[in-house]
Amino acid sequence: MIVGQLSRDTFRALLVGSGLRVKAGPFNLSIRTRLPYLADQLHRMYAHYALMDEAEIAEFHVQVISKRSIRRPFAQLIQFEVDGRSPFPPVPAEQALATLEWGINLAIAMRINHLLLFHSAAVERNGHVLLLPAWPGSGKTTLCTALIHRGYRLFSDEFGLMDPQSGNFFPLPRLMPLKNQSIKVIRDYLPEAVLGPEIPGTLKGTVAHVRPPQESIERSDESAKARWIVFPKWSANASLQLEPLPQSEAFLLLASNAVNYEVLGETAFDAVTSLVRNCECRKLVYSGFDSALAALDELTDD
Amino acid sequence: MEFIWRVNYFSALRVESLEGEFIVFQREAGKTHFLNEIGLKILSILDQSPATLDSLCRELSEYFTLPPDTHFSAQINRTLQRYEALGLVSRVKENA
Repeated sequence: MIVGQLSRDTFRALLVGSGLRVKAGPFNLSIRTRLPYLADQLHRMYAHYALMDEAEIAEFHVQVISKRSIRRPFAQLIQFEVDGRSPFPPVPAEQALATLEWGINLAIAMRINHLLLFHSAAVERNGHVLLLPAWPGSGKTTLCTALIHRGYRLFSDEFGLMDPQSGNFFPLPRLMPLKNQSIKVIRDYLPEAVLGPEIPGTLKGTVAHVRPPQESIERSDESAKARWIVFPKWSANASLQLEPLPQSEAFLLLASNAVNYEVLGETAFDAVTSLVRNCECRKLVYSGFDSALAALDELTDD
Repeated sequence: MEFIWRVNYFSALRVESLEGEFIVFQREAGKTHFLNEIGLKILSILDQSPATLDSLCRELSEYFTLPPDTHFSAQINRTLQRYEALGLVSRVKENA
């Protein structure tokens, strides 16, 4: 059963009561909240997610609660909690969805050490994963959004989840936060994309989430190996460049980009070495989607 | 005053070659280092036998067919000091 098959009342009852238990790639989440507007947003944005089986255990128990502030008695504030702890200070109530999504990402980044976590978008085409590792602000979520609406399957806009032993990557298709100018860019380029509400005033400016395509969520148990690593950089008015990157440079960028490289030690060293040896490594500079998508299509053609 | 340099636990280093560059995993420290061919050759020469800066530079010059000069020697000395800070090499004794 998927979230979209639940009536709004049943959905709210789960969020208020025992928790909405959903699958997110290889992880299970339990989400609770009493905030009606957040419930409505989640009902729409999580519509394609499968509910967990009764017997399954949730790795992450998260909730978003109302918070009162003595300093700001009239402000409506909320707080994100994971397993009863609050990693962020309270924020205005309209930021609830963004805070929930960032909080879940933080919990994954802090706790998951059986997989190597690259700070990377990951999409699949022709049975292989294209990794797009990049730091915040490089436009990877925006490029990832364009790719998944042009025939690529979404693994994640945020984490490349790699099993260091097998080299397999696991899909983790979650809401993708577009920021600031990217929101209008995607609305104009992809009118078919389903976006959540615009949330102003966050630490990263105005945010609007893209709902992952249904097929990507339905196929989120299908892992794949990486074949291409492309380090993207959006640059205004730049002409397209998709150039080979030396393996040693790709290793350096990947190792420094992996969230838990140092924690995994030699296991991560072996995994990244194997990954760069088995992939075509490129760096991409682009300013427009059409040329970037054409270049990536050519790279990933069979 | 001249120091004799030796490598620390060369056998505990994992070395992999990537298109002519080398990545080295230092098990003891859990650190990864990026070396070029000369950088790795320094470790491999010192692993075979501890050496002074002068004799190390001579061997490197012969191996890479480079003309020995003071600039090269100063560069290798800086590399050794960097390696020492990383725990890759140490000075075993000094001769007056």
